[in-house]
Formats: sequence, C-alpha cells, structure tokens
Amino acid sequence: MSLTVSGVSRSFGGVEAAQDVSLQVDPGRIVGLIGPNGAGKTTLVNLITGVLRIDRGTVSVDGEDVTAKTIVGVARAGVSRTFQNVRLLTDSTVLENVTLGLAQQEHSSFLDCMLGLPAAQRDRRAVRDKAMQILADVGMVEYAHRIASGLAYGHQRRVEIARAIAVKPKYILLDEPVAGMNDVEAGEMIQLFKSFAERGIGILLIEHNMRFVNALCEQIYVLNTGRIIADGTPAEISQSPDVIAAYLGT
Amino acid sequence: MINFFYAYQPLIDFFLLNAGFALSQYIVLRAGVFSIATVGIVSIGAYSAAIVMKSLGLSIWIAAPFSALVGLAVGLLLSVPLARLRGPYQAIATLAFVQIVAAVALYAEPLTGGALGMNDIPKQVSTLGLVFALAFVLYILGSLSRSRIGAIFDALRQDEAVAGSLGISISFHHALAFALSGAIAGLFGALQAGYIYSIEPHQYGFVMLTMTLAAVILGGRRSIWGPVVGAAIMTFLPEIARPLAENRLLLNGLLLVVVIIFLPRGVVDGLIALVRRRRTSAVTWPAESSKEVRT
Repeated sequence: MSLTVSGVSRSFGGVEAAQDVSLQVDPGRIVGLIGPNGAGKTTLVNLITGVLRIDRGTVSVDGEDVTAKTIVGVARAGVSRTFQNVRLLTDSTVLENVTLGLAQQEHSSFLDCMLGLPAAQRDRRAVRDKAMQILADVGMVEYAHRIASGLAYGHQRRVEIARAIAVKPKYILLDEPVAGMNDVEAGEMIQLFKSFAERGIGILLIEHNMRFVNALCEQIYVLNTGRIIADGTPAEISQSPDVIAAYLGT
Repeated sequence: MINFFYAYQPLIDFFLLNAGFALSQYIVLRAGVFSIATVGIVSIGAYSAAIVMKSLGLSIWIAAPFSALVGLAVGLLLSVPLARLRGPYQAIATLAFVQIVAAVALYAEPLTGGALGMNDIPKQVSTLGLVFALAFVLYILGSLSRSRIGAIFDALRQDEAVAGSLGISISFHHALAFALSGAIAGLFGALQAGYIYSIEPHQYGFVMLTMTLAAVILGGRRSIWGPVVGAAIMTFLPEIARPLAENRLLLNGLLLVVVIIFLPRGVVDGLIALVRRRRTSAVTWPAESSKEVRT
C-alpha cells in the first residue's frame, strides 16, 4: 500500500528531465521533495499524474499500475494534486471550484440531471454542504461566494488545496503549496497538512522552503538535475555533502 | 396587443427557431468545444424530417423526434474525430463538415432535390409548437446547468487539465455536449422544415452559421438565457433597423464589436457578473471591516 515511483525516466530532446527516479509515499506520511530551481520537481509531478508520458519506469498506486494512464485515470486511482501556478476556475466562485472536486462523488444518474429530478438536486445540496465543510477546514468559508480570480494569492492556494482534498484522494501531491504565504499562514498550513496525514492521506510535498519541509516531513528526497541525489530524515539531508553542494554550489 | 402579435408572428416564429439553433451552438461552446457543426446538423435534421414527412407521410410528431435522434447520432459520430482537436482546429474541421453537408444536399438530387431543394413540405408547426419545443429544450438545459453536468461543462471550458486532475472524464463530457448539441440542432431543423414549406441547401450556409454563432457571442455562453437573448437581438434588430435599408448588417457588426469590447462575456453573462459582483461586495465589505475592528 503506497504510491510507488520506480526507475522513472523522461527526456526532452537531449535534456534528461527525470533520470531513474524512485520514491515512495506511504499512506498517512508526509514526504518532502526538494531541490533547486530547474531540478525537475514539477516535471516529476506531471510524470506521476499522467500529464506527461513516461519513457521508462513505472508508477503504481496501492499496487495498481498507473504508468500508462492519462490524467483522469491517475486521478481516479486516488492521486490528487495542486499546481505550482495556482489553477482555479477564475470565472467561478470559490464554492464552485470546490464542488467541482466533489462532482465525481455524486450518485444521481444522467437522467436525474437532465430532468432536474429531486435526486440530482439532493446531490447538489449535499455536495455544497460538504464543500462548505472543506472550506471551513482551510479557513475560507467567508469567501465561499467570491469569484476565485479576485482572491489574494495565498487564499487562492487554499482554495486549490480544498479542491484537491475534496476528491477524497489516497495520495496528494502539493506543488509548492505555501509559495506566496507569510509565516503565519504557512504555520496554519502545517496544521492542515498534518490533519490530512492523520486521516491516512499520503502527501508528497514539493517545496523550496526548507524550514517548512523540516517542520512537516519525516522523510525527504532531494532532486537535482532530474536525479535523486539524497534521501533521508531532515537531519540526514542537511548533513549530506551532495545536498549542500547542490544548494550552495561547490 | 393581439393585432401586434399577428403582425409580428412570423418574426416571433423565426426568433423561436433561431433561439433553438443558438442553444445548440451554445451547449458545445459552454463545454469548451469550438464546434460550429450546428448548422450542418440543422440541415441534416431539416432534410431528414422533410424526407420522412413527404415520402412516408409521417406527421411532425414523429419526424421531429426522429430528426433529433439523427442529430444526436451525427453529433456523437463527430465527437470521435474531434476529440483529438482543440480550439481553432475544431472550428476548421466542423466548418468543413458544414460544407460537406451542403455539398451532399446539393448533389444527392434524388433524395434532397438538389439545388431546387424540397418543396411542398406540409406545414404542421405552429407558434405554439415552437414555444413548446423551445421551453422543453430550455427545461432540459436548465436542469443540466444546475446539476453537476453544468458545473463540469463550465470547468472544461475554463481549464480541462484541472477537470481531468479531479478525475472528471474530458472525452465523455465533450461527447455529451456534442450529442446534446446535435439533438437540439436536429430537432429545430425538423421544426424549421415543418414550418417554412421548402428547404434548399444554400439556406444552411455561412450566413446562418455566423448568425447562430453571433447570437451566442452576443448573448453569452454560460447562462442558458444568453443564446435566447442573443437570438432575439439577431432576429429583431434588423427589423428595428429597417430604415437603414441595405446598411442594416452594418448595425449587426457594430453591435457585435461593441458587445465584445464592453461585455466580453455576452449581454446576459456580463450583466449577471455585474450584479453578482455588486451583491458580493455589498455582503463582504461590512464583514471585512468588522474584522479590522476586532484585530
């Protein structure tokens, strides 16, 4: 039972964006993925989630091979994500953004929807209530009816996190979730992500902010030029000469 | 009032038909598919209804649902190759489809009557019939809008990668939009055939295509009322502008430019957004200021 990436490689022309990358995220664990700019962190997220095709290697979710699956297939296998550059539906309200994450959990049939039968209306109400709860979890209830594009950047990130968690994922990949947040907000996010982990969700946290990663992760992978150059506990990572060289230069 | 209605009845009927065509165009655009196949499917619907009404002597009550089914099937078939295309490429491919349909209608003379078209189609469609058909389509589209399907269409239009990352099937919902659009186009094609006595190929050409597309752009592509209002403008404006004689089309173009600049989401969606913004700012402003007091 884990999200397992083994030996994944992908090259774009001559550039090897991912070389033989292996990592594992267990349910209820928060795993960090750090690395300097251009290390290939976001590319790796795109490879795992089926946005980009994998050249070699496999990705599996709780034993199910999702290597060849599309974005939709990987999402349905239980992997959710946020985007490095927040991608909300900018014309829609905060609530609409979050209910979209819940759409797959509605049970009413197409006929119910088409004829506006009570089953479809019940579904929508239930989903709206659930979305409000999730918004309460991320502290965004009072913004529920605002248009998403009008929010501050940090608030937009929270909405995106709410949407990603709404799909009830087994694993969630958070691509720089606290970028653009101040220390107080980032502190709130630490509590939030811990609560996700307590619910049994495995988290892969892609981050720049070392302080934030150290506060959350028991295990950290360090990526540089498409390769995992170190992995271990925060203490081990900070001692690794390879990591120090990658971050500070030799 | 009654006199007014009789004087303008044909115009109202044309508006009702145009609103149906616009709704067919609207539903694909709402789901983020840039298909302009509507006119082609309207043509197929009109011809198939005319054929079954004339050769088999069937009534519009059978011909119209039959055409809707034909339109639905054509829409689904189109969705297969078009699933691989996006944006302008979909527009070009569907424009080609419209041209192919027009060419077939022109050359399949034994079936379609060729350039002379089909005449003496029994007139069985009344204003009331058109009102019912439009109300039926609006009811279904309205129900879908309020359900998850409408939310998913809005999401696909704005960012389909996001929808996909939430496990929402992109191809399924695009096919659904095509099927709906095709069924509506087929239905209103049949109603048109059963209304205007005769149909001919060139009627379903570029003019109708731009008119239908303009109705959606003018009205808006999110609310179901957008295309209805757009169709009303496109139908009634030339009548109001009658004194301008042959320069009437200038007014259409001018209006389109003005709307695109000042209400880029269309008249209906633009106004809804305006009202919504005013309302939310009125609600949240005091809430924010009270928060300031607290801290």
